[in-house]
Amino acid sequence: MNNSFARLIDGTCATLRAEVLPRIDDEYARSQVWGVINLLNTLKVRADWSAGFLLQQLEAQRLALAGAAEALRGTPGLPDEAPPAVPQVPATAELLAARDQGNRLIGRLLEWLADPPPGLDAAALAQAQAALLGAMRAEVEIELKHSPRPLFAQMSGAVEG
Amino acid sequence: MSATGRPGGGDRGVRGVRGEGAGPGGPPQAPAALAAIGDDATLARKVAHYLSAQTGATVEVSGLRRFPVGFSWLTYGFTARGLPGAAPEQALILRLGSDAGLFAPYTAWPQVWALQSLEGTAVPVPRACWAGDDPAVLGAPFMFCEKVAGAAVVPWVSPSAPPLPDGYRIALGDQFTDALAALHGLDWRGRPIARLEAAAAPVTTANAAHRVIADWGALIERWAMRPYPLAQWGLRWLERNAPAAPRVAVVHGDYRTGNFLEQGGRITAILDWELVHLGDPHEDLAWVSLPMYMGGSPYLCRLLEPAYFFGRYAARSGIAVSMESVHYYQVFSLLKLAATHMAAARCFEEGRSNDMRMPAMGSQVATCLRQMEREIRQGPRPPAGAGGGKG
Repeated sequence: MNNSFARLIDGTCATLRAEVLPRIDDEYARSQVWGVINLLNTLKVRADWSAGFLLQQLEAQRLALAGAAEALRGTPGLPDEAPPAVPQVPATAELLAARDQGNRLIGRLLEWLADPPPGLDAAALAQAQAALLGAMRAEVEIELKHSPRPLFAQMSGAVEG
Repeated sequence: MSATGRPGGGDRGVRGVRGEGAGPGGPPQAPAALAAIGDDATLARKVAHYLSAQTGATVEVSGLRRFPVGFSWLTYGFTARGLPGAAPEQALILRLGSDAGLFAPYTAWPQVWALQSLEGTAVPVPRACWAGDDPAVLGAPFMFCEKVAGAAVVPWVSPSAPPLPDGYRIALGDQFTDALAALHGLDWRGRPIARLEAAAAPVTTANAAHRVIADWGALIERWAMRPYPLAQWGLRWLERNAPAAPRVAVVHGDYRTGNFLEQGGRITAILDWELVHLGDPHEDLAWVSLPMYMGGSPYLCRLLEPAYFFGRYAARSGIAVSMESVHYYQVFSLLKLAATHMAAARCFEEGRSNDMRMPAMGSQVATCLRQMEREIRQGPRPPAGAGGGKG
């Protein structure tokens, strides 16, 4: 695919709005198209091309360049530029699992702090609770920064008058 | 037959198997739950067969179509011919509680009991006609009720949408407030809705908050597809700060703009009773005042100034409004809304529904949790508005 992910989504949404929606009379079908547009807007800010197939392409490049270099070793004038290093990209599933594991830990700690052991310093308790609350706030703030405005009015067929 | 299309019929009470439900419609390749209902033509045949069997007459059904409203019970409108004691062409509503719905599995009875209990009171409701929970009848729990004339005022509007005209919104707001006051003032004991009361563990003024928190905590446990420590923290706060209720009332559970019909400035019916339960009336007051339903206006549910709403409600209901309790239930309401969005995400993820609005709802969990946390931090505060002023 040669187009950028974001441009493809923009083009898809524009087509749905300008070319498809005006030709649909059924109210429920229209709400579904708006739902699709809403979802595409979310994908635009949260998704990108899969790293998986790019990594496969990079690996193919690396192997080819290494093979060519081996075959041509010692040839005068041979460009000796090294193939680009393949970046280490964690799988999204691993990141999601790590986030959930961290959230479970925060949850358990919150439960523990709700009934703290006798003698726990009040300032330390407050500091720990504030730190956890800060992390929880940060998670939703980051999520919302990557959330487009939802199209509930359009999805509910909100036409008045 | 009334102007609202109420079917006549002396003993046409709610009967049948067992039931309730409503929800999103399905795509052409419907999930199994919607396949059980069938397409509109199939459903129309089943409805005609059921109504004929119930009435002993030959009932014909035409014009059956699904409305794009709601995410829970499916709602259909149709015309029935041949219903004894009704108009020759009787407009009816069918609600189906498909497993594709947000809160599935469903039962029809709480909302049926609510409608039965409120018939003839100052709370305008459609008349429930038949209901049942047996999916063998129509593919899902079901409820038939009269079709009431009117249109819904939508809670979500685009930022460029003009505000509701003052006279219109205040007139509607007054009725909206008065109906809620009447609901909470209902002497429900001895009415069908009293069946919600569990004999072994009745709802009391002391335990109303704890009960509803426990119920929704269990639902979050069931619906959340990943850990939400902020939701857990909110539940803890709610458990620690539970207020006593001024009385045990019938709580609508989703009382807001979008869930009533109006015609010519008159509220003709309060709808969507699927979350009805017994509890603290402040729960409905808080739901009314959610920022999500203000539509960018300074008015609760796009209708009334907060101070005016609470003042009028208190005067009409005789219930002293505690802003501390309103605040408490606002926190609860935001958590409940987050839970609802979790349910939407799960419903879509499990393939029970392909309604493309579900993932949009699911993306709103963070919005609700952030608002909940802010609400806890800000604490109770006086309602905005002129207080004694009009609207």
